[in-house]
Amino acid sequence: MSTFEFAPYDLPPEAKALRGEVRAFLGEALEDKPSVERARSWSGGSREFSRKLGARGWIGMTWPKRYGGHERSYAERYVVIEELLVAGAPVGNHWVADRQSGPLLLRFGTEEQRRTLLPGIAAGELCFCIGMSEPGSGSDLASVRTRARRVEGGWKVSGQKIWTSNAQHADWMIALVRTGDAEQRHASLTQLLVDMKSAGVAVKPIANLTGESHFNEVFLDDVFVPDAMLIGAEGDGWSQVGAELAYERSGPERYLSSMRVFLEFLRIVGDTPTEAERLLIGHVTARMWTLRQMSLAIAGKLAAGENPAVAAAVVKDLGTSLEQDIPRDVQALAPAKTDEVFDRTLIYLLQTSPSFSLRGGTREILRGIIARELGLR
Amino acid sequence: MSELRAILAETTERVLANAPDWARVEEAGLAKVLVPEEEGGFGGSWEDAFIVIRACGYHAVDLPLPQAILATRPSDLYPPMLLAAQMAGALQAALDLSVQYTRERKQFGKPLASFQAIQQQLAVFAEEAAAANMAAAAAFRAADLVEENGGDAEFEIACAKLRANQAARISTGIAHQVHGAMGFTAEYRLQHLTKRLWTWGSEHGNERHWADWIGARVAARGTSNFWPDLSSG
Ligand SMILES: Cc1cc2nc3c(=O)[nH]c(=O)nc-3n(C[C@H](O)[C@H](O)[C@H](O)COP(=O)(O)OP(=O)(O)OC[C@H]3O[C@@H](n4cnc5c(N)ncnc54)[C@H](O)[C@@H]3O)c2cc1C
Repeated sequence: MSTFEFAPYDLPPEAKALRGEVRAFLGEALEDKPSVERARSWSGGSREFSRKLGARGWIGMTWPKRYGGHERSYAERYVVIEELLVAGAPVGNHWVADRQSGPLLLRFGTEEQRRTLLPGIAAGELCFCIGMSEPGSGSDLASVRTRARRVEGGWKVSGQKIWTSNAQHADWMIALVRTGDAEQRHASLTQLLVDMKSAGVAVKPIANLTGESHFNEVFLDDVFVPDAMLIGAEGDGWSQVGAELAYERSGPERYLSSMRVFLEFLRIVGDTPTEAERLLIGHVTARMWTLRQMSLAIAGKLAAGENPAVAAAVVKDLGTSLEQDIPRDVQALAPAKTDEVFDRTLIYLLQTSPSFSLRGGTREILRGIIARELGLR
Repeated sequence: MSELRAILAETTERVLANAPDWARVEEAGLAKVLVPEEEGGFGGSWEDAFIVIRACGYHAVDLPLPQAILATRPSDLYPPMLLAAQMAGALQAALDLSVQYTRERKQFGKPLASFQAIQQQLAVFAEEAAAANMAAAAAFRAADLVEENGGDAEFEIACAKLRANQAARISTGIAHQVHGAMGFTAEYRLQHLTKRLWTWGSEHGNERHWADWIGARVAARGTSNFWPDLSSG
């Protein structure tokens, strides 16, 4: 009777117990971290911090132990992820690998790939990047033109990727490439693991509007990729990418990105808010609480072995809208007298928030996915 | 969904979907969803009651069934929660109607549903309906947990009613826009849903009421408690 089933999900006791432990660890590890740096959320990263988390067993938490994982529940992972995001921990170095590259390899990778790569991810040693977008292929991802041509023992890959987050730090890229006839569109797409140290790989950082360089151009010039680095089957790249994007869209990172400026607003307003301030706090809180329930419901579905791809698109679109409303509404209502910490955090989030509804599939693309589920297209 | 809950959902649909009358509602025992089995009721939880009350909203039922359910477990706290569930049901019904209408109605030689401008609006509608539904369901779940663990579900109920009000504000406009003039008639079914949603938006607390209540509470608890409180469930 509802289009999307979101059932309330109670976190099991072991997950609740873990929360205190994570909070205590982060309280100490991030003690001196200023608000504006915390606002970077998963855009900021340090390998040292990733290693610390790895040592705690908080990367690759749900993966089998034989691949360096910890066989913990999805619920436990959910709690760790929430706490990392709310604290503004510098998780960028392992984020993509933990969230999507690792799960992708677990599902479609070869035994050798799992054995050689997953333990390094879980230890916080390996950084992955996503080579999907190209200069001519954004939303229309199936039009990618980077080519992989068969040679003795593997492929030679040539082309260009763009907007590749963390490529300058990454050890590996999972690249979506064309291995057949472009006329076939979806059927000739394949995913390859590209060693970023290979000859012919050149990375050129692109400064974003804040002046920071998180994303890059990646030039691939006749890069040799051995047979063993094929993920899944040749020609299955499109459906595998679909599964990967479902992992990418389903987590709590899609509504918590502006948490820092909301907390700054609460601090500035203090315990004597005006009516207008109370109304904003109330509206945001109700939306955030609801999104958290939806995000938990998705965690419940994942725990039950389902693939809630469309529900994830719903949460991501609602979540990124909230993340974009928060800095705008906070600015509109901020009192005349604030302070530098507040101002810097606000301006940083105003500047970065446009990207929230672009990365990982744009708002319009997500709404198209939802419309398809409704039977409109 | 448990087997018993599935049976309840089925019975609810059977009784409420077509011109329900009070005699049939009584006979099916829908008002006694919360009454213990040994007292002749269904012996259900608030989550079970959610199914029945939401369906009252979905089918725009004109019988005092939600009130009758509440009378078996009187509380001053729960009326807004019940209304949030009815609003979630009415939003879903208005969405279903909008999807159906835009798939059937043709302009410029093709169904309205094939226009991207229509698709994107209905996607927003579907998101809002899903959010209102989740918020209400989670409040009913919180009410069940109160019976197990004590405390109250005040915060969850406030969030659920506010979220339903927000969703109704956004979605009723979309529902009417995609229906054109047909939706503005007395005869077409949409008005039974949207007029209820507009009434309910003021009953038991409008957006100002609940946003102010939540905002005052959050501010009083202070910045450092915000996330611990939100994640305590
Ligand atoms: C911060 C950031 C990090 C990123 N990191 C990565 C990464 O690590 N790896 C990677 O591969 N990519 C990455 N991306 C790229 C991202 O996936 C693309 O930006 C996104 O897919 C959109 O592509 P585009 O930017 O080319 O926009 P376009 O596709 O050109 O779209 C521009 C606008 O037109 C709209 N539009 C496009 N097609 C349609 C349509 N059919 N109907 C209606 N509207 C349409 C879009 O929704 C958008 O609003 C990143 C982007 C950002 C902003």
